[in-house]
Amino acid sequence: MKIWLALLALLAPATAMAADNVSLTSKVFVERVKPGADGKPVTVREEPGVVTPGDRLAFVLTYRNGGAQPATGFTLTNPIPPSVAFAGTDDASASVSVDGGKTWGALASLKVVAADGTSRPAVAADVTHVRWSFGQPIAAGSGGELSFRGVVE
Amino acid sequence: MTRNMRLLASASVLAATAVAASPAFAAGTAAGTTVTNNVTLDYKVGGIDQNQVSASDTFTVDRKVNLTVIETGNLATNVSPGQTAAVTVFSVTNSSNASLDFALAASQLSGGTAPHGGTDNFNVGNVKMYTDTNTNGTYDPGTDQEITFLDQVGADTSRTVFVVADVPLGRATNDVAAVRLTATAAESTSVGTLGATVTQTVGANTSGIDTVFADTSAGGNVARDGIHFAEDDYVVLAASLTATKTSRVISDPFNGTTNPKMIPGAVVEYCIAVANAAGSATASAINISDDVPDETTYDPAFGIKLDGTVTGSSCNADGTSGGSYASGIVSGTLNDIVAGVTRTLVFRVSVN
Repeated sequence: MKIWLALLALLAPATAMAADNVSLTSKVFVERVKPGADGKPVTVREEPGVVTPGDRLAFVLTYRNGGAQPATGFTLTNPIPPSVAFAGTDDASASVSVDGGKTWGALASLKVVAADGTSRPAVAADVTHVRWSFGQPIAAGSGGELSFRGVVE
Repeated sequence: MTRNMRLLASASVLAATAVAASPAFAAGTAAGTTVTNNVTLDYKVGGIDQNQVSASDTFTVDRKVNLTVIETGNLATNVSPGQTAAVTVFSVTNSSNASLDFALAASQLSGGTAPHGGTDNFNVGNVKMYTDTNTNGTYDPGTDQEITFLDQVGADTSRTVFVVADVPLGRATNDVAAVRLTATAAESTSVGTLGATVTQTVGANTSGIDTVFADTSAGGNVARDGIHFAEDDYVVLAASLTATKTSRVISDPFNGTTNPKMIPGAVVEYCIAVANAAGSATASAINISDDVPDETTYDPAFGIKLDGTVTGSSCNADGTSGGSYASGIVSGTLNDIVAGVTRTLVFRVSVN
């Protein structure tokens, strides 16, 4: 499928808007633990039908460079939505912010400063933004998927 | 769920950036809240910044209905036989992420093991439910209003409910009457009126606010039915009094006080001992009256001694003067007798 789309992009470069045909989607799923076929619990991702406080969410971001040229300085920025507590990401390349996007880094390296000036190590629930910055160019026709987890507050 | 993809200029998207808010309630995000995830993508082509790409995805937080009824204090309520307006205290908590009404019902167990031990073996009468109108945690007759439902209970809030009942006469210590307070989730549609019973959304997710029951099975409840109850015991604590009348010859005209015999002119002492069994309720207002036997004459010089003691089964003939004698009848009122204590009434007569 991906190859076919890439070929299509190559075949019809004139009809595409050369500068803006990088695509991005955000999709949210609810992660539920259900008994698997062998009786052991497995985590499944479902469409966010019935969602109540305490439910675990997976935010899946899909990007693709549909343009004819490589894209550089590729940076995805995702503020954590209100009513959602950040609960980690499996992508080691992600950096997070706990101060509204002013400073970035690995969660373990960040601190939260209280009103009285004291600070404490940041925890996942403090995260306000998650960001991915790609050092390598995204080649024309290539894409990928990123994700992070949250919990409905 | 809606999903869209937009192409926006960088500046407007940055202005719309929001930080995660703290939850308003421990019960969680309010039902109906729309949660939107926004993600932006910046990139360059040929070293030139391109227009920022953004995408978003939205879902609606559904209604989680969770309620608990607990018996405040988790102790049996001790009552006396014949006690009116005996109070048990319950707390009803709305842990849902939405405001609800709660229909209330007070019922009685019929036999079976009572929640605090023992076996339910009688029913209380005149069972009513009251709200804690002045929110002082104590039932105040005349102030706290009788209710059949709790109106407009906000998310993550609790209300106190008093179950008030009358205890019949004639019950013995450790008799148990168990009562149950059941709350059923109802819609908080209008103030002052009990709404329709909440029903769980069945079948597929709807685009509106769905309802999910999340109440637990704690305390013998059925999980996820929108109904929760707790129980309490009325345990009777009665006084258990026994009265024992003894007599002894104090003196006779011939032997004096040495081995006196029951002959005319002899002085005889009567002792009425009232014992309250261990583990009983304190007995009060204990009135004793006793006929002075025929062929004897009340001894006004000795008078009547009240609240004396016994040693073993032997009357000590002590106590304080009191009581009265009239028309051949000795009478007196003893002080309160706590469990395990014996008090006496003592008087003397002479044999005619």
